[in-house]
Amino acid sequence: MATSLAARLTRKTLKSATIGPLTQSIFGLTRPFSTAVATDSSSSSSKIPATITRDNDERLKWDYRGQRQVIPLGQWLPTIAVDAYVAPNVVLAGQVTVCDGSSVWSGSVLRGDLNKITVGFCSNVQERCVLHAAWSSPTGLPAETLIERFVTIGAYSLLRSCTIEPECIIGQHSILMEGSLVETHSILEAGSVLPPGRRIPSGELWAGNPARYVRALTHEEILEIPKLAVAINDLSKTHFSEFLPYSTVYLEVEKLKKTFGIPI
Amino acid sequence: MGTLGKAIYTVGFWIRETGQAMDRLGSRLQGNYYFHEQLSRHRTLMNMFDKAPSVSKDAFVAPSASIIGDVQIGRASSIWYGCVLRGDVNHISVGSGTNIQDNSLIHVAKTNLKGKVLPTVIGDNVTVGHSAVLHGCTVEDESFVGMGATLLDGVVVEKHGMVAAGALVRQDTRIPSGEVWGGNPAKFLRKLTEEEIAFISKSATNYSNLAQVHAAENAKGFEEIEFEKALRKKHAHKDEEYDSMLGVVREVPPELILPDNILPGDRTPKVAA
Repeated sequence: MATSLAARLTRKTLKSATIGPLTQSIFGLTRPFSTAVATDSSSSSSKIPATITRDNDERLKWDYRGQRQVIPLGQWLPTIAVDAYVAPNVVLAGQVTVCDGSSVWSGSVLRGDLNKITVGFCSNVQERCVLHAAWSSPTGLPAETLIERFVTIGAYSLLRSCTIEPECIIGQHSILMEGSLVETHSILEAGSVLPPGRRIPSGELWAGNPARYVRALTHEEILEIPKLAVAINDLSKTHFSEFLPYSTVYLEVEKLKKTFGIPI
Repeated sequence: MGTLGKAIYTVGFWIRETGQAMDRLGSRLQGNYYFHEQLSRHRTLMNMFDKAPSVSKDAFVAPSASIIGDVQIGRASSIWYGCVLRGDVNHISVGSGTNIQDNSLIHVAKTNLKGKVLPTVIGDNVTVGHSAVLHGCTVEDESFVGMGATLLDGVVVEKHGMVAAGALVRQDTRIPSGEVWGGNPAKFLRKLTEEEIAFISKSATNYSNLAQVHAAENAKGFEEIEFEKALRKKHAHKDEEYDSMLGVVREVPPELILPDNILPGDRTPKVAA
């Protein structure tokens, strides 16, 4: 009770202290630390410390919110299934669907601003991958990036408007260009580049830049592919359980706003 | 605020305090393993001592990109998510209408072994694909650097030159105008056709239009985001195909309509590399 009273008192004193154009600008404020606000009222720039607004440049140098994870574009809202793990610094923009049990690891960018991107059941997109969709594909198929179930996509891969059928492995650092198709039970080795419109038939191992046929997969290897996806799914669950549904950063923001004398 | 409102506000405040105390207790119980989340400390634009980046007003810089040191970015350019432009030892200049796509890295070298100064200069209307690495090189106007390409020190890509996806271009290579180079190390593959050259500049304009949409979305404030979330939820069940089947025409709120210039009118086929 005592602290709440103190807090209210300080708020009251702050309110009385900041009457005039400053409060006017700060009350109707949606982005408290944007420099745009600082420029239209010269008095507030003296109030907010120099670390936040160094000059009257209109551009934001530091967004206190960081990069938003989910970026809707128009009516397209990225959808994430409740038990999918999406790392906090992943960017999902536009028409992106992350299905049940799948995982998108840190540093990846899934940008479905021109076409759809789907990450299927139990698939995983590992660190620093970029998934994008082009406007049209040279094969005439729909130019959406479709990753079906039990697919493992290695770190640093680049996928653009390609279709990956169930139970495949895409190695690290591989590049899949527009309209490429990876059929069921096939493996692409690390560092391979798939030119536009290339199709990898079922049950084969391909490698190289540009990708070439290496050998057919054995039955045992084909059985291993979904097991790998499930293992990564298990790992993603341990990561997922580390995150609380809501972060407590808003407390930090409130505290910071209070120290700078901006009413909440 | 009435008296009742004031009372509820105060009770709410007490419950929140209790909640925070519970949170602290929980964190204390988790002990050393608990992680306290901090405010974002990521800097989109950052100085290096006296070298400040200068970014044109209508360029798009994604909040998760970091632009450090002596970097100049021209108008209508776009720096996409997760990019790093680190001009700490030398300067980087990016022309107008250029797009540097997601997760790319642009860096500079102070000098190479022969003592030559190597800044990174990127011309106008250049398309640099996802995850490209450009290190101390010169990319002239309207050229194309494909996805995942790596350009090492002293590489020059001449006007309308093209580096194919996944290529590694070795030191001091000069890619002549209108040629496609690919592979590791990069070799001459073929000549670019006229359509492809036309496509490069077109793709740059498409990208700068697309960037405007992203810039608008990323610059939104909290209240605006919440408002649009509510709007989207309200209109969510109104599926376009379903509506057309029923013959119903519904209005989409203007906040949720994307400008149509992001979508190219004629669907030109993508450059085959």
